[in-house]
Amino acid sequence: MAVVEQAKAKRIYEGSRIPSPIPTILRVDPRLHEDGDILQVNFGPNHPSTHGVLRLIVDLNGEQVVGLEAVVGYLHTGFEKNMEQKTWWKAITYPARIDYLSFQYNELAFVLAIEKLLEVQPPEKATWMRMLLCELNRIHSHLIWLGTGALEIGAISMLWYCFRERDAVLDLFELVTGTRMHTRYFQTGGLAEDIPPGFFTECRKFVDYFPRRIDEYEAILDRQQIWLERTRGLGLLSAEDAIALGQTGPVLRASGVDWDLRKSEPYLAYDQVDFNVPVYYEGDVYDRYRVHMDEMRESTRIVQQCLDGMPEGPWIVDDRKIVLPPRHELHTSMESLIHHFKLVTEGYRVPAGEVYVAVESARGELGCYLVSDGGPKPWRVKFRAPSFVALEATATCMSDALVADLIAIVGSLDTVMGEVDR
Amino acid sequence: MAEVGRRKRLADYGLHSERLLMKRKPPGNFESELGELEDKLMLSTVEKAVAWAQGHSIWPDTFGLACCAMEMIAIVSPRYDVARFGAEVFRSSPRQADLLIVSGRVAHKMAKPLRQIYDQMLEPKWVIAMGACASSGGMFGNYAILQGVDKIVAVDVHVPGCPPRPEALLEGIVRLQEKILAGVPPAYDIREVAS
Amino acid sequence: MSYESVPGYRFETESHGETTIVVETDRLGDAALHFRDELGFNFLADVAATDYLGWNERPVAGYWGSGDGRDINKPGSWGLARKPEPKHARFSVSYHLLRLASGASEAPRVRLQIWCEDGDPVPSVVSVWPTADWHEREAWDMVGIRIEGHPNLVRILMEEDWVGHPLRKDYPLGGEPVRFSSEE
Repeated sequence: MAVVEQAKAKRIYEGSRIPSPIPTILRVDPRLHEDGDILQVNFGPNHPSTHGVLRLIVDLNGEQVVGLEAVVGYLHTGFEKNMEQKTWWKAITYPARIDYLSFQYNELAFVLAIEKLLEVQPPEKATWMRMLLCELNRIHSHLIWLGTGALEIGAISMLWYCFRERDAVLDLFELVTGTRMHTRYFQTGGLAEDIPPGFFTECRKFVDYFPRRIDEYEAILDRQQIWLERTRGLGLLSAEDAIALGQTGPVLRASGVDWDLRKSEPYLAYDQVDFNVPVYYEGDVYDRYRVHMDEMRESTRIVQQCLDGMPEGPWIVDDRKIVLPPRHELHTSMESLIHHFKLVTEGYRVPAGEVYVAVESARGELGCYLVSDGGPKPWRVKFRAPSFVALEATATCMSDALVADLIAIVGSLDTVMGEVDR
Repeated sequence: MAEVGRRKRLADYGLHSERLLMKRKPPGNFESELGELEDKLMLSTVEKAVAWAQGHSIWPDTFGLACCAMEMIAIVSPRYDVARFGAEVFRSSPRQADLLIVSGRVAHKMAKPLRQIYDQMLEPKWVIAMGACASSGGMFGNYAILQGVDKIVAVDVHVPGCPPRPEALLEGIVRLQEKILAGVPPAYDIREVAS
Repeated sequence: MSYESVPGYRFETESHGETTIVVETDRLGDAALHFRDELGFNFLADVAATDYLGWNERPVAGYWGSGDGRDINKPGSWGLARKPEPKHARFSVSYHLLRLASGASEAPRVRLQIWCEDGDPVPSVVSVWPTADWHEREAWDMVGIRIEGHPNLVRILMEEDWVGHPLRKDYPLGGEPVRFSSEE
């Protein structure tokens, strides 16, 4: 892992570049209206390069971007309202579709929040397996980011390489959970089912060959002159601006702030595995690319350590008030039958209270704010989506950008519109 | 109707979709319906040639909305390779595309751009509603999601799944191909949807 | 840590390891500045608006276990209907704050909360944490919290001319009626 020493990196820019009075809208300088020829262009919701349904209203002075406004809401799904109507068990199906690239992170945030309210601790095996699957999700998300991001900048062949690996990761998910995407494998108290035999061998094979693939990608892109020209020095975001704008994840780490929730607020078993957090100091698109690549390597290391250190034991907690009893017990034990009946018909209750749980997803801090009234359904679920906040930084990053850079910068912020609009 | 020499039907050329994996399966509903349609429509040789050309070169439009879009991009990947079915490139401009694969949940705010894109496509055009959300609103029966994209555009093929596997989407594309080859008109000719 | 020096301090609660500080709604601007400058909470993670209409109307039946934890020796309200504690007003807006420092090995978090009724103006914190821009727009759009002093308070997730605030409890779920469904 290469970390540029802070002394060597030059200062990105002086002062703050956050537009004012509205932090998220870059307004055209009034003087330009007289001198220049301002053209307002709509990068509509259906655009091949905006990573989903994002609408950007851009003012151009020739090739230069002088005004920018992002319009979101084209994928608003009403997750939060829907989840309020479902029981706790059924509501776990919904979060996976919020951030549809790293789907199990949303489930993780929601399930960890429920477990925090219930004050129940899942068994070790479940914790380590959740960690393993979440790191595979991070790899999956970064692969898609790299494939589509490189496609937009022009390195079209990266799409095929990255999707080849992505299919390998999805094969692993299918082996464990039965479906490629939107697995709904995490359950309150642990995992939904035991880990099938044969998974660990396949996972090891993946982990063995994947670092060489990352080497291949870096060999293609790292010192490629066109890639460097199109990513170096663009989309600058200083550390102070990034913190003021609420950025987290790779965007923040590429701006020089060493902040990762896995290290500063360890959840699951991250304090028992050894990994580095890549931090770069230039704050441009190239550094965000480097952070993504290094994170893929670190995730592979974490998965390796999870495979080596996977404990034995139950996969879900034994508390029959929230977890279905094993089927064979239903024939012999009356209490198990009653518990099964109550859980399936009414569902479990979660004590009244409010809680906020944050995990470090592939995009940054994914938070779940949960309010329960003690009943079978959530009262309020709010997801703090990192992409929502990342899009707030588009106006700041866009100073001195050309039209072609616009696509690269928006791509580097790694936004998923499902998260932004929820 | 008199039979003037028995013409070869699609089934004789080997209908792909249902026989691929299950060799001994008898003809399913889709095959028999398509066979009846073929007889009724009685395409001329020129029309058949045109249908062959259209069916084997359907170029989709990049209309990825949500999770299904990920599986739609996956069919371009080397493992599932939609190019071998003729959908060689995904065109970004709707004016150059034949097929609109609505992949993902359609919010009411997005319904207007969706209809605009559909209107900008030139006839003949086909629509595949990919996934549960595009077909019927999916798991989101609420104020924000359009309950089925066939309320605003005419859909030819619905592909179930949440999200459908890339193979399922390929099956949908292949069935669409077979419909075109059989001479079935595109959905906007059959169904009056906001036309 | 004592938060009593926060301007507009009303009270604080602590549960599940999280501290919630409730301040007066009209002193929110001063409280926010105090948190950022004096106490060092330079990062606003989230602004969550909640509607508590109907919170204490019907008792919630059959909660297994007690509110303090899962102790089999404390029967609590086993099988009995019990109402949750009533809330202070209809709406609450929670600002989740974090003290972010590069290289730090701990993440102190705090929740700054205000309570208001329908139509009460809530001061904007955009000048304190610029990231609140879109979060407050979402609070206005979804729950109808009128943010005062926001530079650009327009709807963000719904269409600009939408009527109603979807995440309020008196707003219907919508969608098409489906037979055999238990939702509205």
